[in-house]
Amino acid sequence: MLTVESVLVTYPGFNGLYDFTLPRGTLAAVIGPSGGGKTTLFNALGGFETLTSGRMTFDGVDFTTSPPAARPTAMLFQDHNLFPHLTAIENVALGIDPGLRLDAAQWRDADHALTQTGLGGMAGRLPAALSGGQRQRVALARALVRNRPILLLDEPFGALDPGLRKEMIALVDALRRERDFTVLMSLHTPEDALGLADRMLFIADGRVQLNETPERVLHSGASELRRFLGR
Amino acid sequence: MAALAVGLPVLVALMGLAMAGGGLDPAALKQAHVQRVIVFSTVQAFLSTVIALVVGAALALALARRAAFPGRATLIALLSTATVLPGIVVVFSIVALYGRSGFVTGTARALGFEWGSWLYGLPGILIAHAFQNIPFAARLYLHALERTPPEHHRLAAGLGMTPFAIFRHLDWPRLKAETAGLAALIFLLCFISFAVVLALGGGPNRATLEVAIYDALRGEADFARAATLALLQVAIGLGLTLILAWRTAPIAEEAGSRYALLRADRSALPLRLWDIAVLIITALFIAPPILSLLSGAFFITTLVTPDMIRALMTSLALATGTAFVATLIAYAMARGAIAGRRVLYGGLAYATLAMPPFAMVAGLYFALRPLANVMALGIPLIIFINALMALPFAYRLIETPLAIAHQRHGRLAQSLGMTGRDRLRFVEWPLLRRPLFTAAALAAALSLGDFGVIAFFGGSDFVTLPLMLYQQLGAYRMDEASATALLLALLVFVFALGALKETGHAHS
Repeated sequence: MLTVESVLVTYPGFNGLYDFTLPRGTLAAVIGPSGGGKTTLFNALGGFETLTSGRMTFDGVDFTTSPPAARPTAMLFQDHNLFPHLTAIENVALGIDPGLRLDAAQWRDADHALTQTGLGGMAGRLPAALSGGQRQRVALARALVRNRPILLLDEPFGALDPGLRKEMIALVDALRRERDFTVLMSLHTPEDALGLADRMLFIADGRVQLNETPERVLHSGASELRRFLGR
Repeated sequence: MAALAVGLPVLVALMGLAMAGGGLDPAALKQAHVQRVIVFSTVQAFLSTVIALVVGAALALALARRAAFPGRATLIALLSTATVLPGIVVVFSIVALYGRSGFVTGTARALGFEWGSWLYGLPGILIAHAFQNIPFAARLYLHALERTPPEHHRLAAGLGMTPFAIFRHLDWPRLKAETAGLAALIFLLCFISFAVVLALGGGPNRATLEVAIYDALRGEADFARAATLALLQVAIGLGLTLILAWRTAPIAEEAGSRYALLRADRSALPLRLWDIAVLIITALFIAPPILSLLSGAFFITTLVTPDMIRALMTSLALATGTAFVATLIAYAMARGAIAGRRVLYGGLAYATLAMPPFAMVAGLYFALRPLANVMALGIPLIIFINALMALPFAYRLIETPLAIAHQRHGRLAQSLGMTGRDRLRFVEWPLLRRPLFTAAALAAALSLGDFGVIAFFGGSDFVTLPLMLYQQLGAYRMDEASATALLLALLVFVFALGALKETGHAHS
């Protein structure tokens, strides 16, 4: 269980107050207007934000003040997830050892992770020789070898075509079922999550306004949500 | 047209060199003196480059890792200042600080240390070149480091990378990408260095080719040797420039990110101590020469003499002319590049870097001597040569926005039948106004600080501020020199910093 308890992040002109729980193994889609506090929540969970107050735990273990690498989280961004001078497999291997000191078995693990994300045979390619979707698959493969129970995906597929986007979300769904990951994934197009996500968090004005099944969120009559969806 | 304006003089100069009065003197290359000059030029340029790159990279890394400390903005402003100070002003500052009666030497003497005369020769040249090029390298490296996507540093933190791994995987690839082009440029600038080497070299053997050409032309009137040295200089310059053009990657700006740049290695203690040491040492090296210029304020009254005012007027007139000519040629060449001859014009703009002022002057001198009294052509020649020296920068500044303007609106303008003046007014002017102004200001700044060509043409009745400063330094009139240096530095700032600010805005 992921528990976010009265987590307060303050900036001049903005304050985010988050309070919610997600059962272990949940795939949660995070939606909301830009500037509403989605990225701030991801940063707080990933360890890139100084909290004014509050507490975050996973399965009872407090990680509120842990440094980013010591948290139960792995993070994926929309862009720049790979180091351009390293090959696909080296980028994955960084998830096993950030200094690239791996033994033969660990290199095989990295290669296996690439196969799991559908990139068998691409291990030696540089990021520049991969498509946008393939690059995100490499990043997912790294998240797999990191093997952290919480996956934070901040608009990970926003730059991809609709068909590819759905394919990638399905891949994330399959991987989390296999590994029992808890996934928070922010999305531009809420419909992408229908049928796959267990939960949908609607965040606006720095608050989690709704935390329900996607169907119920999308059909709720909340005025802010209607404005966000353009209905 | 534009190609002719630039290419023709370069060709004429080359021909002039080739057919120099009395022919070339290949034997000159075998003379021990000439060989010493070549070796010395190479060694000092190599050492200057290594110092600039190593210290510049350390400084850039320290500034990148320490994103907020009191005085950071001041330090960066000092770096910009050091980069734009004219060579002859740098010479003044170094002498004022480390010279016989300089502040550092004086303090040491008061403490009981007697150093003797150590500045003139390699030490002085290296100090001056380090002062000019460390800030230059640091600014460029820092810019490269700051273009790292913030995601990469978040990934590094999330993966638990050590500071060394961060250096290896995040910083080193970016530094490495800049280094080849930067090294070639700094080596070239030091190799053709004139003012610093002439004033601080302290002897005919400790010279660059530029200084040797100047000596051969002006001092010994040995034209054959001047021509031979100039050709050699052009050949070496051309080689380095080719590396430069080849290794200077087009500026690829990464897409902006939604995240702030937070470096994961900012809190490691040993690294923090190292960075603080680097920052303090470089600040102690860069700041005092700049502060020493302020001493000129005490002697500001020495500026009010008829000679001084005439020198100021001459400098300003030359700068205005240079700004105008450089901008015009750069614009014409950029137009040519848009019309499809990008390689030709891009190459031509760089070629002027390979043609250092004295090689150019020597060539034109020989080519025009049968036709006219070259010394009488001084003013237009100085303006023209200074404009050519500003061209590589001016061209780059103007070509990029012009290409963007045409990419964005070229088809629309064509379909509307817009040509000539209308196109300039509606399509190009909005995007080009600032770059044109910037290019003009930069050309003016370069011309104001120029102490190259003027050393050849200048005389008792034709003096610019840099030449005046050189004469005052030569006569050890340090009080007057300090006032002249301050005035010159301030003038150059007004233009150069204005120009740099403009480019800064254009990027944001």
